[in-house]
Amino acid sequence: MTGTGGAPVPPALPGPAIPIGDDESDMAVTTEPAGRAAETPPKTRKAKAPKARRRPLRHRLRRDWALIVLTAPAMVQLAVFFYAPSAYSVIAFMDYSPYRSLWENPIIGFTHFQILFQDPYFVDALLNTLKFAFAQLLFVFPFSIVLALVMHSVVSTKLRSTFQSIVYLPYFFSWVLVVSVFTQVLGQDGLFSRWLVGMGGERLDITRDPDTFMFLAWMQWTWKDAGWGMIIFLAALAAINPALYEAAAVDGANRWRRLWHITLPSIRPVIVLLLILQLGGILSVGFEQYQLQRAAVGWGASEVLDTFVYYRTILSSNGESLGTAAGLFKGLIGLLLILAANNIAHRFGEQGIYQKS
Amino acid sequence: MATPSGGSPVRRRSLFKAAGVGTAGAAGVPLASACGEVSGGEGNVQEVDPTLGILPEYKEWPLPIEPDLLGDPPDHPSGYLAYPNPPARAITTPPGNSGSYQVYVPNWGPALTADDPYLLAMQEATGGTKIEFVQSDGEAFAEASTQWIQAEEFGDAIFMFGWMTNSHANFNETVVNRFADITDIVSGDIAERWPLLAGRGDAAWADSVWSADPEDPAGTAGIYGVPWTLLGGPGNAFFHRADLLAEGGFAVPTTVEELLETARAWSDDSAGRWAIGGSDYMSKAWFRLEATGWLWDGSGLVHNNERSEFKEWVRFQRTLTDEKLRHPSVGSADFDGKTLHRTGEILFDQDGWSRWWQMTQEVRATGENPAFALGPVGALTYEGREPMYHAARGVGGWLFFRKDLGEDAIAELLDVSNYAAAPYGTKEYETTFFGFEGQQFTYDADGRPAFTEAGVKGFQDSLAYTAMSGATEYLLEGPADIVEARFAFDEAIQPYLDENPFQGLRLTGPEAGNNAGAVFDEKVNDIVYGRAELSELDAAVETWRADGGDEAREFYEKAYKQLHGE
Repeated sequence: MTGTGGAPVPPALPGPAIPIGDDESDMAVTTEPAGRAAETPPKTRKAKAPKARRRPLRHRLRRDWALIVLTAPAMVQLAVFFYAPSAYSVIAFMDYSPYRSLWENPIIGFTHFQILFQDPYFVDALLNTLKFAFAQLLFVFPFSIVLALVMHSVVSTKLRSTFQSIVYLPYFFSWVLVVSVFTQVLGQDGLFSRWLVGMGGERLDITRDPDTFMFLAWMQWTWKDAGWGMIIFLAALAAINPALYEAAAVDGANRWRRLWHITLPSIRPVIVLLLILQLGGILSVGFEQYQLQRAAVGWGASEVLDTFVYYRTILSSNGESLGTAAGLFKGLIGLLLILAANNIAHRFGEQGIYQKS
Repeated sequence: MATPSGGSPVRRRSLFKAAGVGTAGAAGVPLASACGEVSGGEGNVQEVDPTLGILPEYKEWPLPIEPDLLGDPPDHPSGYLAYPNPPARAITTPPGNSGSYQVYVPNWGPALTADDPYLLAMQEATGGTKIEFVQSDGEAFAEASTQWIQAEEFGDAIFMFGWMTNSHANFNETVVNRFADITDIVSGDIAERWPLLAGRGDAAWADSVWSADPEDPAGTAGIYGVPWTLLGGPGNAFFHRADLLAEGGFAVPTTVEELLETARAWSDDSAGRWAIGGSDYMSKAWFRLEATGWLWDGSGLVHNNERSEFKEWVRFQRTLTDEKLRHPSVGSADFDGKTLHRTGEILFDQDGWSRWWQMTQEVRATGENPAFALGPVGALTYEGREPMYHAARGVGGWLFFRKDLGEDAIAELLDVSNYAAAPYGTKEYETTFFGFEGQQFTYDADGRPAFTEAGVKGFQDSLAYTAMSGATEYLLEGPADIVEARFAFDEAIQPYLDENPFQGLRLTGPEAGNNAGAVFDEKVNDIVYGRAELSELDAAVETWRADGGDEAREFYEKAYKQLHGE
């Protein structure tokens, strides 16, 4: 969860929970392997598809025109603010100068990509980015699931909503605020340092030590973003049919078995969906967090692709094309990862980010 | 419309050829073979020539009130001991204008709202021109301006400090492509309409000239901006808290060794006291490092980075880290030298000259610390070498106009610039810098303008009308004792001011050199702040040379030789 946008739209989430809950209830009784049971429905659907007679476009238009009108504003907005600007990515293949009109720039092919991959700082930035992305995936993502499960098991609604707000609120803080709060508390002249020095100890060095930056970044992600993931999972948890728990309890399933056989399988589609989206943005680990702390821990520990683009291709350099090439590369990797993850999700019988028809 | 960046246009591929490459690439030719050449990044030289015919005719604008202390401007500015009260009127008949404009300015003070009474009063005072100042934090402004200017989204005019141009890839090229050429408007005799702008002098106006084609500098020269203050004398200062030094029984250090001694004695990490605040740009001169980076050794140019003095400087800076003599937040965005210096958590800190009189005046006004006293540290020496002090040269910045802003509109804005060019001691200067009596300031016991609550909150330190032009003459300001002390300091420092080896040239180095320099500086910061070891410096210097340092040397050497006829 990078906080840089691309957040999935929550309303799409609770939907699929119901039918799958039915699947799982079957499973609980018959103890059939989950994989096979889930694999069947898409296959049958696929087999049915060609049989359905396609109506002519004219008919479909007459039937669906209202829907098209409803989506038109969104399409126009996307076109103006997303597709049109994206078209300018073509400058990655040009010897671009801002003082010429676009079509006057000579096309030079993949030179900028070549320069990019030969740049040792780009490679460093790429490796750092992957390091942070996997750390987020491994240590923050599961954390929000655990948080949601803990939250879900708290019975007192008052305690629950209080705790929920406390954990969720930091998500709305900007990175500027998060970083300065951390410096105020954990910095060399911060709250903890003063307290430690008062007790005769040493000052904390964590906000300026490049070796522990990963740990610091992890604390910041967790504090800022774990609550947001928790809310999504809580929504999925709320959609589970309580009758399932009751039935399981009657059958003698203890707390852990219920967690394992009911709760986790029920929120699996949401987990997979978030995982895919997370994978797609794997090279976008964010910008502000690293840029703000770059001076404190040095660029070696904090340079990621986005800061690379800013410092090496925007500031003090004619790097419009090079920066765009870096951005395109990032987008391409993201697209490939999304497609791959989505494909795997379909193989496991999940919906993924779109329905396979 | 497009201007070549000083490189030979022959290297650029024509669109026809390039299209061929494009289709070949699409047809599945392997990646490596589908490569063309990338142009640009060779660097750019511009000459600052005060004898150019296009400059506005200089017509002296004598100070209406004689200063008490007469210096030798611009290296040794004059100053008033008592505030000239009442100040003189510089403009007797204000113009009658009605236009409305937007000007982008950097700002470190409070932001003004569009209907601030000060702005409304200034609109009337300057002749009716309504200006909306779009103010952004200065550091962010420097970086963001690169994008605004390329996208031509900076209102009708933008103010840029000279140092901000470092954020741009090739500012010389940017200027001629993005800003209006105002030669036709300001060339010749302009004393009739803009007497104060005519009084700015050739040196200031020559520094606002750029040439569209560097191959033909004189033929394509044009005036592209209104020059801000013409700088001279010591550029910045390393200030000490005189009261705290005296309290601890320390003398003002005169050598780097003494500074370290004092710092060691005064600093106490566990008590939260660190003698040194910011020192990076001031301390280089103590080790005789060059302000421009390049030193002519008789046969060629040597860069600071490669000199043994640089290693000494890095070692000194590292000592500050290792022995905990420097405030731990220095080097990060959280460092607030002004506040720390005011509260006495740090003893020394670097800043522009205004810190001296402004902070002193503020502390005196609040009465928070009657003993408070600041003072500049002189040219420190290391190992008994010759003292050196970096001077400020040229104009400090420019006001640039949008390329397609009409001639009448530019002339109207120049009316405002003319107003802002009035020097210290005039009513116009007073309104520009202090506001209006009874609203933003009142006269204190000494007859000097002192900000009121409203002035401090809404106006003090803000860059607005101050950005429209530099004054005809820069004069020292502040309370009498500080003006006196500054005047004496300037006099004493004159023999140690450094010379700019490229005086008269405006240089944009080759891009490879700039990039290698940026990478090198980051490595040095790693060493200084304890993230890397001093032993890694030599390897970093080698990398810098190979990655662009030598290319930059070649470029600067060529410019140096041409300039000095070597």
